[in-house]
Amino acid sequence: MIPRIESGIPEFDELTLSESGIGGIPENSSTLIYGPPKTGKSIFSYQFTYQGLSNDEPCLYITTDQGLNQLKNNMFDFQMPIEKYIEDKTLFIIDTTSNISEGMQTKTETIVSSDINNPTDIMVKVGSGVKYICKKYPRFRSVLDSSTTLLAYNDTMLILRVLKAYLMRVNGVGGTPIITYTENSADIMIETMLKSMVDNIIKLDGKTVIVEAMNGIGKRSAKYKIKDHGIIL
Amino acid sequence: MIKTIESGIPGFDELTVSEITKGGIPEKSSTLIYGPPKTGKSIFCNQFTYHGLLNLEPCLYVTTDHGFKQVQNNMMEFQWFIQNYIQNQSLYIIDGISQLSGKKIEDTNNIKSSFVRNSSDMMVKIGIGTRFVYKKSNHFRSTLDSLNTLFAFNPQQMVIRVLNAYLRRITEAGGTSIVAYTEGIINPNTENMLKSLFDNTIKLDGQNIQIKSHFEEEEELINYKSTYKITNKGIVVKKE
Repeated sequence: MIPRIESGIPEFDELTLSESGIGGIPENSSTLIYGPPKTGKSIFSYQFTYQGLSNDEPCLYITTDQGLNQLKNNMFDFQMPIEKYIEDKTLFIIDTTSNISEGMQTKTETIVSSDINNPTDIMVKVGSGVKYICKKYPRFRSVLDSSTTLLAYNDTMLILRVLKAYLMRVNGVGGTPIITYTENSADIMIETMLKSMVDNIIKLDGKTVIVEAMNGIGKRSAKYKIKDHGIIL
Repeated sequence: MIKTIESGIPGFDELTVSEITKGGIPEKSSTLIYGPPKTGKSIFCNQFTYHGLLNLEPCLYVTTDHGFKQVQNNMMEFQWFIQNYIQNQSLYIIDGISQLSGKKIEDTNNIKSSFVRNSSDMMVKIGIGTRFVYKKSNHFRSTLDSLNTLFAFNPQQMVIRVLNAYLRRITEAGGTSIVAYTEGIINPNTENMLKSLFDNTIKLDGQNIQIKSHFEEEEELINYKSTYKITNKGIVVKKE
């Protein structure tokens, strides 16, 4: 039996019920969320993150599309205030954009900045983030939103290796990582390779959420909408 | 008649019966399992491996997508328990990826750590591993799952060369090898070259299984087709 963790979207957990009667994201596996632009991939990540934080599961969040402040505001808009979790240090954020857009901000132990053009530095920060979290917690979540920006700014094969290393790091110490990716933003070969690297594949196309692959269950799908509190199916 | 070994996949051996074979996977041959992501290629490999172990055929298992602990867990989902075979050393594992997770891994007699990026180290360990399983039995299997990570970490031509050397080694020692690969991650010319290195190719697309076997001595190319399902016992091929 594969242990599952709540995705943060109750109907999604129902959709992914396995024979043993539990649903959600398989714990300690890796997940790719992909689809066209603006279909709710980031919102899925917020809900996944917030669900974990509410259950005392810390989260390592790597944000490459939006700076920390924007992330806070966006999550707040969906009624997911994260200030508290930043303070109690269960939310560890690696911010690769604020250096450029907001100037240097106050760094803390759990809010670190990196540079989108420097994948090596991102990996170093991921390494120390994982270490920081796994010292205190046997299980945690991790989000990388999104791989699209990383792929756009760097050599794509290098980023594939970085993503593989990221997944191995998080999985290696009991974490459950998800990666978001905008469909067709990279070469089809890269996209296929990305899909081959993860355990679960979830597609959001704007109308339908399609679980294309998940350990222990077959292909499933359901209609979804984005409401005030995030995605509902 | 061409000698074959049991694939371990229900329905597969029945499907591949022909005038020159009794079905199964031709002994001492090489097989490429390919198809889109998440169509059961790894499951096929693991099923093949486990069935060999049950039949007292040792196995050299090269894992590059998942660390060896993860492979063990994945196999457990299907009730394929390999711990005993690790203990009695009939399973020899080369773990080409766990180093990437940043954890220290202690080598044992039959679990060796290497790194996909370091193809010469991989080849040295494959050489040692081949001798190790060959000494146990000259009826052995070898599984490489998969080429994907190798392609992500190395130039395409180098992977092809390493693969060629690997296949030759296993065949010379009398082993039967299978290799998994996700279709469409390298350019089409190299992909064709890749397929041409193997005696047999098996394509899994999520629904259909297509098997092509090339028998050099008989100068025969045989095709088989059917459908398959992934069940909680692994892959099951529909009998036509």
